[in-house]
Amino acid sequence: MKRQNARTLALIISILTYLVVGAAVFETLESKQEKSHKRKLDARKYELMRKYNLTKENFEELEHVVLQLKPHKAGVQWKFAGSFYFAITVITTIGYGHAAPSTDSGKVFCMFYALLGIPLTLVMFQSLGERINTFVRYLLHQAKKCLGMRQTEVSMANMVTVGFFSCMSTLCVGAVAFSHCEGWSFLHAFYYCFITLTTIGFGDYVALQKDDALQNDPRYVAFCFVYILMGLTVIGAFLNLVVLRFLTMNTEDERRDAKQKALMSVTKSRGEVARLIPVSASTSSTPVADDTTKAKDLKGVYTEVLHFQTICSCLWYRSKEKLQGSIPTMVPQELTFSDAYLQQNSNCPHYMEPGSTGCVCSPRQCTSISSITTGLHILSPFRVFKRRSSV
Amino acid sequence: MKKQNVRTLSLILCMFSYLLVGAAVFDALESESESSRRRILEQKRNEMKKKYRFSEDDYREIERVVLQAEPHRAGRQWKFAGSFYFAITVITTIGYGHAAPGTDAGKVFCMFYAVLGIPLTLVMFQSLGERMNTFVRYLLHKAKQCMGFRRTEVSMENMVLVGFLSCIGTLCVGAAAFSHFEGWSFFHAYYYCFITLTTIGFGDFVALQKKEDLQEKTPYVAFSFMYILDERRDAQERASLKRDRGLLDGAVGLHVVGEQSRGSHRERNRSNDTTELPPLRPGKVFIFQAGRRCLLVDLVCSQIRCESLTVMFY
Repeated sequence: MKRQNARTLALIISILTYLVVGAAVFETLESKQEKSHKRKLDARKYELMRKYNLTKENFEELEHVVLQLKPHKAGVQWKFAGSFYFAITVITTIGYGHAAPSTDSGKVFCMFYALLGIPLTLVMFQSLGERINTFVRYLLHQAKKCLGMRQTEVSMANMVTVGFFSCMSTLCVGAVAFSHCEGWSFLHAFYYCFITLTTIGFGDYVALQKDDALQNDPRYVAFCFVYILMGLTVIGAFLNLVVLRFLTMNTEDERRDAKQKALMSVTKSRGEVARLIPVSASTSSTPVADDTTKAKDLKGVYTEVLHFQTICSCLWYRSKEKLQGSIPTMVPQELTFSDAYLQQNSNCPHYMEPGSTGCVCSPRQCTSISSITTGLHILSPFRVFKRRSSV
Repeated sequence: MKKQNVRTLSLILCMFSYLLVGAAVFDALESESESSRRRILEQKRNEMKKKYRFSEDDYREIERVVLQAEPHRAGRQWKFAGSFYFAITVITTIGYGHAAPGTDAGKVFCMFYAVLGIPLTLVMFQSLGERMNTFVRYLLHKAKQCMGFRRTEVSMENMVLVGFLSCIGTLCVGAAAFSHFEGWSFFHAYYYCFITLTTIGFGDFVALQKKEDLQEKTPYVAFSFMYILDERRDAQERASLKRDRGLLDGAVGLHVVGEQSRGSHRERNRSNDTTELPPLRPGKVFIFQAGRRCLLVDLVCSQIRCESLTVMFY
């Protein structure tokens, strides 16, 4: 079976198992307490009914009024501050439900608002999260250099640790703040922060609902909004770091399969291959796939071209900032490429000393960039840039 | 300023203005009706208090009892079916709140459960969505062949259209089903499906809460679960379609700027080519050393999309 299908099936089965296991555990934890709680409430209810001589209908009427008054008890929910709070819960998909549009036009607007707002918010959080990750990576790198460590590149493990700790501290800061301001226990406040920042948003605990805080306490209101948005950013950054790569596994496999198919057809049709512009005097040209025949597998061609000793298609990563200063001038030969290389990340983990060809890394290890390199290979440093339609 | 920073900043500003606009509109739509409803309800409450002569304490007691009894009115929430429903609302992050763990142990377990479950669910829905997209693409291709079209390749627009129609279809099917079973109006059922599919999950409308439905109407329960999970997959599918589309006709171009290029050629990628670009990180510069010249490639990438590839050469 194709790898993607197997993976998808495995994921479905694991989710279903996870749900079943979770359901069983929740049942054991909550069912008994539910029964006893219900019994107690019913007992209290009958006591009160007897005390005031209420019939069932009377009590039901009372219930109805009380339940409907519930959101109003927490204060005015739809003035500007409350509406802003509500809008946040919509576009971040938290959705407490402490206030929900009651008018039909409100519901309709809510749906359209969500339709545009949710993707916008997702993109924004991912974008901001990626920026934060980059910044943190840079800081960690500088810190490592300052501390005089030998290996100053920032590994994935470093990033994940930092991300995890920042998530935990965000949750703890929020828990402390809310337990103080809302009068919840630390555990309940932590639970509230967690449920909010994962956007589950049960609504069993909702901030800004005590003592009409939305209208009376603007600083606390601002703090809540800022906390929710910043907390979501931190969580988003962490997710961007850890989970994003898994979201495209199937798509990448499909592409790889397509490439492999193309490779099969390349080996069959050698004749169409165009000639490489010789980049250096000492070697004979080798046929290289013209970029217009996109179907050719670039990786295969790339490997072939690399047999040239004088052509080095090595890749170094360097931060753009560092290089910007030197852009107008020629990048000098004696640039410490080792330095440049070490500044970057795990894509080319196998760093070797520059050999006679000046190559620093084995291309096979940088497979993910092969498609770029092959294309750009055709650019001769000694020649005018020729037409390239794609990379 | 770097392109990514500009983009991020503008997205933040966009979001803030979107929130402000939304808040103003919701205020305008709901504030009036809220205050009038509140007035009516408070009046009623005062009437009842006078009629039954409740003391303040007792009234507060009644309030507490009624509010806490609310989830129980809908039946047993934590038997297996109810817990399964709850587990779904956790890992899909819908989170209605119709039932929330009351014990501290339940709360702690819920947190750990979510930490593992949410990423797992995200990955699963993406994976399944991608498979569905591939399958639909295949079907469309076959359909185009059968119908004797000249160009049988399936374009992005086709896929997006099909995806969009299937989403609307899913919403309508759900709306019809839930309005029948729960006795809601079609509009309210549609609203419920939409709020569920987007995982907002207010909890103002929740399925399976009519008396004892969770325990008694098993086929309806099964349908609801499958529907919710299916809706999520649909949404993920559309999201991944959008992302793929972004990948395909995003502004990826190969700009070549070079002192030595005669009449600087600027080439634009054809949309197909971008799919070959691997997920590279933004702002990274690749230096190709060929002979003694260097090619500087500045890749401006966002997330898994490569935005543009600037090649400068010396």
